[in-house]
Amino acid sequence: MRLIKTIMAVCFAVGMVPAVLHASSGTPIPPAQKWSQDGIFGSLDKAAAKRGAQVAVEVCMACHSISLVKFDQLRQLGFTEAEVKSLAEVQGRTKTDRMNGALDETSAKDAFGVVPPDLSLITKARKGYEDYTYAILNGYLSDAERELVNKVMADGSVSDQEALELQSALLINTHDKDHVKATLERLIGGASFNKYFPGNFLAMPQPLNNGQVSYTDGTENSLKQLSHDVVTFLSWAAEPTVAERKSLGFWVLGYLFILTVLLYAVKRRIWAAVH
Amino acid sequence: MSKIMEWIDARLPVTELIKSQATEYPTPKNLNYWWNFGSLALMVLIIMIATGLFLAMHYKPDALLAFNSVEHIMRDVNYGWLLRYMHANGATFFFIAVYIHILRGMYYGSYRAPREILWWIGIVIFFMLMGTAFMGYVLPWGQMSYWGAAVITNLMSAIPVVGEDLVVWIWGGFSVADPTLNRFFVLHFLLPLLVVGVVVVHLWALHAVHSNNPVGIDVHEGKDTLPFHPYFTIKDLYGMGVFLIIYCYFVFFAPNAFLEADNYIPADPMKTPAHIVPEWYFLPFYAILRSIDFLGAFSKLAGVIAMVASIAILFILPFLDRSPVRSFRYRPLSKQLFWLFVVNAIILGWVGYNPPDASLFHGAIPLILIGRTCTAIYFGYFVLLWLITALNIEKPRPVPKSL
Repeated sequence: MRLIKTIMAVCFAVGMVPAVLHASSGTPIPPAQKWSQDGIFGSLDKAAAKRGAQVAVEVCMACHSISLVKFDQLRQLGFTEAEVKSLAEVQGRTKTDRMNGALDETSAKDAFGVVPPDLSLITKARKGYEDYTYAILNGYLSDAERELVNKVMADGSVSDQEALELQSALLINTHDKDHVKATLERLIGGASFNKYFPGNFLAMPQPLNNGQVSYTDGTENSLKQLSHDVVTFLSWAAEPTVAERKSLGFWVLGYLFILTVLLYAVKRRIWAAVH
Repeated sequence: MSKIMEWIDARLPVTELIKSQATEYPTPKNLNYWWNFGSLALMVLIIMIATGLFLAMHYKPDALLAFNSVEHIMRDVNYGWLLRYMHANGATFFFIAVYIHILRGMYYGSYRAPREILWWIGIVIFFMLMGTAFMGYVLPWGQMSYWGAAVITNLMSAIPVVGEDLVVWIWGGFSVADPTLNRFFVLHFLLPLLVVGVVVVHLWALHAVHSNNPVGIDVHEGKDTLPFHPYFTIKDLYGMGVFLIIYCYFVFFAPNAFLEADNYIPADPMKTPAHIVPEWYFLPFYAILRSIDFLGAFSKLAGVIAMVASIAILFILPFLDRSPVRSFRYRPLSKQLFWLFVVNAIILGWVGYNPPDASLFHGAIPLILIGRTCTAIYFGYFVLLWLITALNIEKPRPVPKSL
């Protein structure tokens, strides 16, 4: 019992530590979203992933590749062969091609200064996973937030009251006023600001807006819905075998559980004479 | 059937070997469940070799192809995702089993005479496992693979005179690159097979001196022992069932829990990740390495020496412990020291996980101070264990004469 108490005490102490830990990076943690594929019983919302594939092809792939997936694989999400063909044609490709973007590396570098990252594994390759990608898509400034920035910078100085407002709107650390001013100047100068990107400034201008893609199934096309759908799709693209993994997992764990109970019974029986 | 066995036994005494070393092998009857972790480690070793063999059939040890070949395994190879997740999580569960196995040996005094050589062979296996795990982590050729390899191999440059040349020799060039990946693949394939050989010697050494037990006394064969089969075969099998349930939970439902997100970004020599962390099982030693930062130009070398020493010190543990009693069950002071050591190692791991410039309570307690304190406690364990036993400060409680 003392061992268990010790382990519990240690776990408790370790659990408390993040609350008081202060690391140097100040990037806010992406808020948790609901994903149908989360948890051991979760399964992918195929309708959402299918809509998301449309967003990805029509919007993201103007610059990004999803090179580990072939267009033909989209049929796993419920697209017909004809639909896959027309999706591939959006990018000037055929259904057996990999989902490579329209932008080649050289022109990408000329336009943005960097090659846009491949999105095949994006939901697995960032801390925060799906929540992070969603937060980035929704982390650009709204019109109201832009107005606040303009208002603050109108007189060229940041008052304490304004600093508080900025802190809650832009989620930035406002202890260093000079740094805040430099950030806002850069923002007004046209640089892309994102609340959830480490360092706040990234090469990608806001990629997705309200109403940018029209869904054929009549689902509303707000920014929140579009980004939720496209992240669901990217989550599938990052690991198309998740459904197979989980369903096999239940059989394996169920088998092991029964086997272990039986082994325990046999163990008790064999040791009965010794005890 | 028995005729065939007679014919074989006359030429190679298989039946006698199985009887004396397996089925009728005398085993202390009071072994508790902490004694399961040796056979569990062996089970994981077999899983790792089996899955690794099939992964190697689809993997390409080439800087341009490696990352995508792992994704090819995940997406296109039949049950490739299962092989890879079993292998990646197998590393984690290997170290869980091995750490508990080592700590069990430390708690019950399994390193004491006459088991010193058995203990030393175990430490050799542990070193080989760390090398194998490190090189295996490089193979997916993600950002953490690449930069982890760069940081750790760079440590060799701290060695006086030959260090710089040694690093170039290990890399096969002037940075971690294709030749490094290629040789790490070959060594990652070779080392586990050598581990199997050393494990055989470990078992040979075990069977020469027989198992220690929770009471820590020499046992009387017959009165205190049971035949290995069926008593311990069934106990080991039951333990494997429990262990496999936990392992398979992670393989099927949380396969990336122990992996870093950054390793799903292909290796980029031009872009250093903001925060380079090794796998969790190296974190305590990584923290010891980083906590030696106050010796100026010698810090790096001293850090490397401290890190190696933190494991190598286990070699002299049999001579540090002078107590007349093996098992800590009857040694109140040693027992407290032991649990302090365990908790301290966990804190060291946590320090190693966080950035070196992090602090607690907004700068009030820099993590580096915690790291240094824990490093001192880590080595302090060995010094204090020696002091309280050599100077007879600890008064052991009475030990039973038989089980």
